[in-house]
Parts: sequence; C-alpha cells; structure tokens
Amino acid sequence: MNEAIQLKSVCKTFGATKAVTDLDLVIPRGALYGFIGPNGAGKTTTIRMIMAILFADSGELSVLGHKSALDAKDRIGYLPEERGIYRKMRVGPFLTFMARLKGVPDSEIPGRIKRGLARVGLADAERKRCEDLSKGTQQKVQFVAAIIHHPDLLILDEPFSGLDPVSARSLREMVLEEHARGATILFSTHVMPHAEELCDHVVMINKGQKVLDDPVADIQRRYDPRVIEFDPLDPQADLSPLRSIPEVEDLERTDHGCKVVLREGSSAPSVIPRLAIAVPPARIEIARPTLEDVFVKLVAA
Amino acid sequence: MKKILLVAGREFVATVSTKAFIIGLLIMPMMIGVSIVVFPRLLNPRNYRTQGEVAVIDPNGRAIADIRTAFSQERIAERREATARQVMNQAPPEVKELAASRATPQMAAAVASATAGSDLRLIERPANADVQKEKSWLLEPGEIRHLALVVVHDDAVRSKDGKSYGSYDAYVPANADDRAMNEVQSAMQEALVNARTREQGIDRATAESLVKVERGKLVTVTKDSERNTIRGINGILPIFFVILMFMGVMTGGQSLLTSTVEEKSTRVMEVLLSALSPMELLAGKIVGQFGVSLIVLGLYIGLGGALLISFALFGLINPWLLPYLGIFFVLSYLTYGSLMVSVGAVVNDMREAQSLMMPLMLLLTFPFWVWFPISQNPNSAFATAISFVPPVNSFAMLLRLTSTSPPPWWQVWASIGVGVVGVVVAVWFASKVFKIGLLMYGKPPNVATLIRWARQA
Repeated sequence: MNEAIQLKSVCKTFGATKAVTDLDLVIPRGALYGFIGPNGAGKTTTIRMIMAILFADSGELSVLGHKSALDAKDRIGYLPEERGIYRKMRVGPFLTFMARLKGVPDSEIPGRIKRGLARVGLADAERKRCEDLSKGTQQKVQFVAAIIHHPDLLILDEPFSGLDPVSARSLREMVLEEHARGATILFSTHVMPHAEELCDHVVMINKGQKVLDDPVADIQRRYDPRVIEFDPLDPQADLSPLRSIPEVEDLERTDHGCKVVLREGSSAPSVIPRLAIAVPPARIEIARPTLEDVFVKLVAA
Repeated sequence: MKKILLVAGREFVATVSTKAFIIGLLIMPMMIGVSIVVFPRLLNPRNYRTQGEVAVIDPNGRAIADIRTAFSQERIAERREATARQVMNQAPPEVKELAASRATPQMAAAVASATAGSDLRLIERPANADVQKEKSWLLEPGEIRHLALVVVHDDAVRSKDGKSYGSYDAYVPANADDRAMNEVQSAMQEALVNARTREQGIDRATAESLVKVERGKLVTVTKDSERNTIRGINGILPIFFVILMFMGVMTGGQSLLTSTVEEKSTRVMEVLLSALSPMELLAGKIVGQFGVSLIVLGLYIGLGGALLISFALFGLINPWLLPYLGIFFVLSYLTYGSLMVSVGAVVNDMREAQSLMMPLMLLLTFPFWVWFPISQNPNSAFATAISFVPPVNSFAMLLRLTSTSPPPWWQVWASIGVGVVGVVVAVWFASKVFKIGLLMYGKPPNVATLIRWARQA
C-alpha cells in the first residue's frame, strides 16, 4: 500500500449542514500536500475524520494502511487548528507527557525535547510554565509536540495562523525538514502563498466538495491566463503598436507598462519577440497564475 | 492500557499538586479539630454566667426559704458540677482519663469561674404582691437584667387533694435566655421538692435514694473482648460512613468535572485526541481521579482510625464494614464520576456546568436527607426500596449496614449487583456523551439532548 491517506466517497453532516460531501482523496507516502479552501469549506472536519477524532457518516477511509487513524496514532503528528496546551504545566513535562503518549522510549525523550526546542529557538523554555509563553511561542511548543515522535504522517491544520513572518519562515523550514526526513505532510491553509511555496500538490475543497486535486505546476499550466507582463524601456512610450500584433486581444494598463492579453490558442513564446520589436521592453515576462487567482476563480464560480 | 495509565498519572499529579487540593484536604480535619476543641468550650454550660434578677412571689410562704437556698450561688455551682459529672460518667474510661489528665486545670478554672461568677440575684416580693403590677417590673429598663417573675402556686408544697401538687408560673421578657430559664427551673424544682418532703416529714436524701435508679452499665460483648457500650455512637456511626464516602466521591467527581472543562476550554482536548481515543482519555481521567479520591478517603479513614485507637475505641467499628465501604465507594465513584465527566465534556465553562450539575448534586446529597429515617428504621419498606435504586443505593445500603439492624446479606449483595449495573449504564452513557461532546462548542445541551446523544452514538 503506497498511500498515506485514502478517502473514498466520505460524507459528514452536522444536523442539516453537509460539512463534507463525497470526498475522494489519495495522498501518496512522502508527499507534501496542501489542503486549501475558504473558511467553512470543510477542511478541519476532513482532517478530524482522518485523525479519527470525528467519524464519517459514510464512505471509506484509510490512514497509513489502517482502517482508522486510532490504529496508527503513534505514527501521526497533528497540530490542530484550535491550539491547546496545559497552561499550568511546564514546557518540559508537557512535551514529556506528549512524547510518552506517542510511544517515544523514555530514554530518548530528554534529548528529543532539547533538540526540538532548540530547533524552534526555545532552548531555555523547558522549565517555563506554558501559560507564561506568548501565543506564538506556545504554538512552537505545540509544533515540537507534534513532531517529537518523528511521525510518518504530519497533519497541520492552519499551522501559520497567528505567527509573525520570522516564526512563519522558521516553521516553514521545519515542515520542509520533516518532509525531507521522509514524512508525508498534509497541511491546511486558506493563505494561498503558503501552499504555493511549500506544496507539490494541492487539494482544494469548497462547500464540502473537492474542486481541485492537482500538482501545483499542472494547476498553473491549466489555469494559464494567457497574459504577458510588459514594461517598456521608455516609460512614456506609445504602446499602441502592440495592438497591431494579431495574437493580441487586449492591453491592460499597469503602473509601469501593461498586461498583454493574448487570444485563445496563441503561443506566448512566439509572440514575445514580436512584442519586443514593436516596443523596446525593459521587462517582458509570461504571467503565471497564482493559487490565489485559481482559488478566487473556483470559489467565485 | 499504557496510555490510560499515562493520562491517569497526569490527572492524579495535576490534581494533588495544586494548593487548592492540599488546602481542601486539610480543611476537613481542621474543622473537625475545631469542632472538638472549640465548640464544647463555647457550648459548655458551666461557662455560661447567669446574670440578672429573678423575682419570686410565694403567696403562702411555705417554699420561700427553700427557694432562697436553691438560688444561692453555691447551690447553682453544685448543680452544674453534678450535671457535668453525670455527663462524664457516661463517657468511656479513656475520655474520662483524658479529661482528668489534660483538662483538669481548665475545668477547675471553669468551675471556679462559674461558681464565683454566677450573678443571679433573687428578689423576694411580698406574699400578697399584685402579680399584674409585678409583671411590669420585667419590662423596666436597667443595668441589671430582669430575668423572670416566679409565682409559686398555692398548692405547690401542700397538696389540696392529697394526690397532686401545684407548681409555679414564670413570667419572662421577650428575649429570655433558655439557659437562664433552665437555671430557674432546676432551682425551683430543688426548692419545691425540699419544701414538700419537709412538709411530709420525709428525709429528702432517703426519698431520693428510694426513687433513683442509676442507668445500668451497658457492656458490649464481642467474640474477643468486652467493652463499655457508648450510647449514641451507634446512631451516629452510619452518617460518619456516609460523610466519608461523600467526601471521596465528591472530591474525585468534582476534579473530573473541572479538569474536563479546563481541557475543553483551553482546547487541549483535540491535542489529546490526536494521541489516544476518547475511551482511553475517559478511562484515564476516571482512574486518575479515583487515585485522588482514594487519597482523600484513605487520609480521613486513617485520621478517624488513629483517633479511635488513641481513645481505645477502635472496637466500635466492625472491621468487616471497611471492605463494604470500599465496595460501595467504588460503585458510587464510578457512577457519579462518569456522570460528572460527561457533564464536563458538554459544557464550555464551569458556569454552564452548574445547571447540569444540579440533578447530580441532588442525588449526591439525597442520603443526608434520608439519613435519619433510615437510621431509625433501617429495614423499613422505604429504606429497603432505595437500597436497590442506583445511584443512591450505595449510600442507602451503607447507612443500613452500619446501623443497629443490618439488612440480610442477600439484600447487601443484591444492592451491590444493582450498583454494578448502575456503573455499567453510567459508564456507557458517559462514553457516548463524552465522545460527542468533547469537540462541541456553543450552547450546551440540556438533559434531553444528552439522552438523545447517548441513544444515537
């Protein structure tokens, strides 16, 4: 079995609300998947079903080759969206407790705690009470708790929310380190640049239904906006000669130049030399679609 | 199992290492200590100083001399001492020894204080005084309190029909103190009896010795030994057992409730559920707080046992009651603990828990309401019936077991069987509600919704 996670026609309702409808999902081992969608799309519900915290109304689910994550919890690291920590406990005992729950041998726990805290820049926090730490620092401690047992599968629900840019970068690097170690990673976010920067593959859900499930490169290819960003060498240059090129459908003015919109079926690489001849460029570049563009387009549709 | 024990260990340590728990644990022995040391001193009748004036009208003057003697400070002090000796004579020998060895100086001081300090003045009114007028004396303001106006009946000393005697009327102001009235009553009784016996030409001491029968010495006989029976203890023993069990169940149950609410409100619950199943979490919490309850129960049993041993009264307790206390405690703890943890799982904070806790608290305190009728009649239909109604059956059966008329053995074991069924139902209910409620936030469910959850899950 090569899948870390497999969902087949999974449904979950809360009263009259359909949280997840007929969701199919396959995440191969060793992959780094982004799970994106607007607020209330069903991301957290899906993750909780994967973690066997909630149970699906119908459909099949397997995690690391088991019918339920309950059978593989010691091999899964989880950072929930709702951050939780024993406020009165000190950081060291809290991490020790979590490591023991995850089956880490007692002899290895002190070393793993020290290394984990050092990795998130909290080498001196072991004896501090959790309630004395800032929210961001608590989140780092929780991340250490999620990876302290070197999980095969790491599930992170909105891991970057509430973090400052420096902490977010540090966490991003640690996620990539875990991936490099061989862990399968699934993280949910509604901040598209995070998914774009980190993921090989993106799954998007909206209103409980999957609307996208592709590698990031494929998505960018598929949602090619047929746009060339063009900044002229002379900021005052007349751009109307660009319209005379047959493949050009429209020009949209920007601060430093314009966006050249091509007709459907046009090849951007073949148009670029003619654009450069028509008006000398300072910069000429094929525009790539961002996940945010795709997200907005799909959600708005 | 390992995860259950890990959760149990954390629960136990997190609870017993708090200042609130340690203070709470010490408060009960301190309260008992205070009640043993301070209250008897506060309530000691010999420490009460009767201050004020009592006016007496004796229409035919036959009793006034005896009344005068009975109200003298010396006689008041002697009567108080006699009362105290009577109480002490009923105490076990060890208590007498303790009183003699430890408290003699204080007692002597108290007696001296009572004797010297009694400031009861008798005011003799003329035999033909107008009672209505004299009553207004009671209401006159003054530095010295007017305690009572005593009017002796005409036939109080000499019977009119040769069969019965009159007594006296006492008029008192609105704020009359019962202890002062008791003082007046005992003095008047002594005075009138003295007057009557003299009138009849009988020696009072002889008459008293003829009519007085000392309370017989009660000896409790067991297989191994004999000891003096202590009256009253047998009636109080059941409620002590129930209090012990209540303390244990309440401490563990309350901790289960608060720790679950805390884990839910601080959102640590989902972190835990990523590492273990809801059932493991539930079991770990119940086991951990069971340890806390055992600490409380063990400490109080130990303290109580030490006190009984130090007074050589340990024989009061039948040793076979202790295993039954243990069995009924486990049944009660598991039942109430499961219900309390399910309440904790469905609410967002302690304030919301109050409304759902109300029915549980009523059930938990129910044995205290029915203690007296059950201990008076342990085998009544009512007592027998509630011995088989969980979750109050454990407390009811313990009351009956420790009473003077224990129930038949088949009833005890049938009650234990019913208790086990109650535990199974409570744990089943808790597991269903716990699983659904843990990650539910917002408006807390009512009891009907909880029952629906349990049936659906």
